[in-house]
Amino acid sequence: MRVAVTGTPGTGKTTATDILASRLATDDSLPDLEVIHLNAVLDEEGLYTEVDADRGSKIADLEALADWLDGRDDAVIDSHLAHHFDADRVAVLRCAPEMLEERLLERGETEAKAAENAESEALDVVLSEAVETHGLESIYEIDTTDRDPEAVADALEAVVAGDREPSAGDVDFMGYLT
Amino acid sequence: MSQDDEKWGVAHVHASFNNTVMTVTDLTGAETIAKSSGGTAVKQNRDEASPYAAMQMAESIAEEVKAAGITGLHVRVRGPGGNLQKSPGPGAQATIRALARSGIEIGRIEDVTPIPHDGSRAPKGKGGY
Ligand SMILES: Nc1ncnc2c1ncn2[C@@H]1O[C@H](COP(=O)(O)OP(=O)(O)O)[C@@H](O)[C@H]1O
Ligand SMILES: [Mg+2]
Repeated sequence: MRVAVTGTPGTGKTTATDILASRLATDDSLPDLEVIHLNAVLDEEGLYTEVDADRGSKIADLEALADWLDGRDDAVIDSHLAHHFDADRVAVLRCAPEMLEERLLERGETEAKAAENAESEALDVVLSEAVETHGLESIYEIDTTDRDPEAVADALEAVVAGDREPSAGDVDFMGYLT
Repeated sequence: MSQDDEKWGVAHVHASFNNTVMTVTDLTGAETIAKSSGGTAVKQNRDEASPYAAMQMAESIAEEVKAAGITGLHVRVRGPGGNLQKSPGPGAQATIRALARSGIEIGRIEDVTPIPHDGSRAPKGKGGY
């Protein structure tokens, strides 16, 4: 089974999937899945076509990444691009844009980067793409706004274990824009 | 209508999964002429982004805009509701059509959807609009 963990940068994907990885390694009742942090793969394998200089961001080679992922079917994929690839379940992490902006600034990102990601989150960009690609029946939206990383990992664990129903569109962050 | 009678503004359309919000400003963006949201037309969660709700919103905004003497609008669309084919929030297209139908001239339509990014981003057309 392949589980995509997507969401706007700053929603806490890497933090929560790191916690999930140690649970997957120790808890025999959970399926045997490898956690893949796709940004690290993109960097190490050079799987990008060019660099967006304005954003300081490598433009992903989605085909090359899909090839690299091919055959890695028992995996949890951590990336805000994870919904662009085949997956059985797609978890979409969400976070109130004001808080997301704060998290990104604290992580040391530039103001421009924090602001564009916050606006993306307010407009449901990643959620909409995920629904468009995979259909509502595969989407598991998780609001991390008032959840600590352990609780987000709990929610991911429930998705992996098949202990929750799909859902999407339960948050409305448009207020951030107006 | 002579050139002199033309007055242009900018319609900023924000189209998310659940909602469509439109603000009309002057050309500089400094002065807000009218403001609405899908939520004011139909107060039902998922329906807020429906083409019907977006259309109703655009019609009521068009009246305010015309009353302010505006004859044409450039449109700036932000959000996947305006882009994705199967998007559950197809509010932007319906909004623009409704503005045109109510007799407002439509000028440039620009897509200024933000791009989620960290060390990487999607290429254009694949989320990277
Ligand atoms: N549930 C959470 N609550 C509060 N802060 C969080 C949470 N998860 C992550 N963070 C913090 O927010 C920042 C972004 O988290 P990260 O896991 O790198 O996000 P992503 O991988 O989605 O970009 C980090 O500084 C991290 O410490
Ligand atoms: Mg990360």
